[in-house]
Amino acid sequence: MQGNEQQAYDRGITIFSPDGRLYQVEYAREAVKRGTASVGVRTADGVVLAADRHARSPLIERDSIEKIHEIDDHVGVASAGHVADARQLIDVARRQAQVNRLRYDEPASVESLTKEVTDYIQQYTQTGGARPFGVALLVGGIEDGEPRLFETDPSGTPYEWQAVAIGGSREDIQTYLEDEYAAEMDLEGGVELALRALASVNDDGLDATGVDIATIDVEGEQFSKLAEDDIADRLAEFELGGEE
Amino acid sequence: MYDPDNRLTDAYEPEVGTIPSDESDADEETVVKTGTTTVGLSTDDGVVIATDRRASLGGRFVSNKSVTKVEQIHPTAAMTLVGSVGGAQSFIRSLRSEANLYEVRRDEPLSIHALSTLAGNFARGGPFFAINPIIGGVDDEGSHVYSVDPAGGVLQDDYTVTGSGTMVATGTIEGEYDSEMSIEEARALAIRAVEAAAERDTGSGNGIVLAEITADGVDIDRFDDYDSAE
Repeated sequence: MQGNEQQAYDRGITIFSPDGRLYQVEYAREAVKRGTASVGVRTADGVVLAADRHARSPLIERDSIEKIHEIDDHVGVASAGHVADARQLIDVARRQAQVNRLRYDEPASVESLTKEVTDYIQQYTQTGGARPFGVALLVGGIEDGEPRLFETDPSGTPYEWQAVAIGGSREDIQTYLEDEYAAEMDLEGGVELALRALASVNDDGLDATGVDIATIDVEGEQFSKLAEDDIADRLAEFELGGEE
Repeated sequence: MYDPDNRLTDAYEPEVGTIPSDESDADEETVVKTGTTTVGLSTDDGVVIATDRRASLGGRFVSNKSVTKVEQIHPTAAMTLVGSVGGAQSFIRSLRSEANLYEVRRDEPLSIHALSTLAGNFARGGPFFAINPIIGGVDDEGSHVYSVDPAGGVLQDDYTVTGSGTMVATGTIEGEYDSEMSIEEARALAIRAVEAAAERDTGSGNGIVLAEITADGVDIDRFDDYDSAE
């Protein structure tokens, strides 16, 4: 009886432990760490999102591994953690982006979209029977001509970053970003930094099919994904490819 | 119960409060209407809005002689009351609270285009009787004047006129308006337009209200006669 009560803070509904912790939220953060890493870099010319999407088998169709998603013309999201959970949040963001256009005939701001998503996440930490989202997102885009980059975590807290990593090896990649980031770098420099950051924790090097990259540029305010050939060219240029 | 979609707001409804869902069957004859002449002119320096001050019942009885038919709805925007007074007043309150909510959440004011789009959506979605307001305001992109029609149509123009005195007032402004004119010249032209409409339109009269909207804010002044408004 006594034993059951003591276990109860980390079962079922999200409730505080006696020392004020929400174990379910903390476990959800562990789920994020089990995912492959995603990196976001804000530059003067736009935002870069990059994700490790290496496959567990050469037989899987690479395009079915979704790590970076377009939300609207001017906003993209990279995820780490449970992909199925990410898809729900991405759809919230996509719908809210269109609601903003319907309601105001204007593109949604990156900050307001992020906060719609984090408010949604938060509800799953305070509702009976709900399970928190086991995913973190990087929301990058252009707002009033300025690049913005946000992170959402399973508690539903939004953070804004200049450069950030989520998912597996987060600490190591973040340390790399902290050492190498320069605010004045251009978009291409941001792509290079993002790739080098991902490579810094991959001893075997990166493979163009195992990396996903998207940029949202200030000039065009347009989300676009890099083609596999373009990624391969850059990996070769930066000497980040593994031995073939 | 838990509603997973409750963060998604309806694009056609206010977030706070609701639009009355039933068409009111209020007797048309007893609904106070503004009749009205309202004009809005944009200049590089800001927007001038002018309205008359008469409210009437069925256009036959003057029920109020000192109505202020232009109200501030945003730090740098104002809207006119045209049509049903009750409809226009609740419309203004809804838009004002939406503009406040937007600004406090996002730490920047609604653009005038967004404000007008929102107004068009509300007009389309709810029975605010027949209202036909002008929205005028100033934002990062400059001065803007929009008219919103009862079916939700939103049209931007250099100047626009709504209300029962539209024909007369438009005739006064037509050919005289110049996009290069100063805000003082626009003010004088707006006064002439409302004065002319008051002379000929039975739904308009009893003095004038003038709103000047610049990047600094909204100033609304009321006058019993047209000379003192100059």
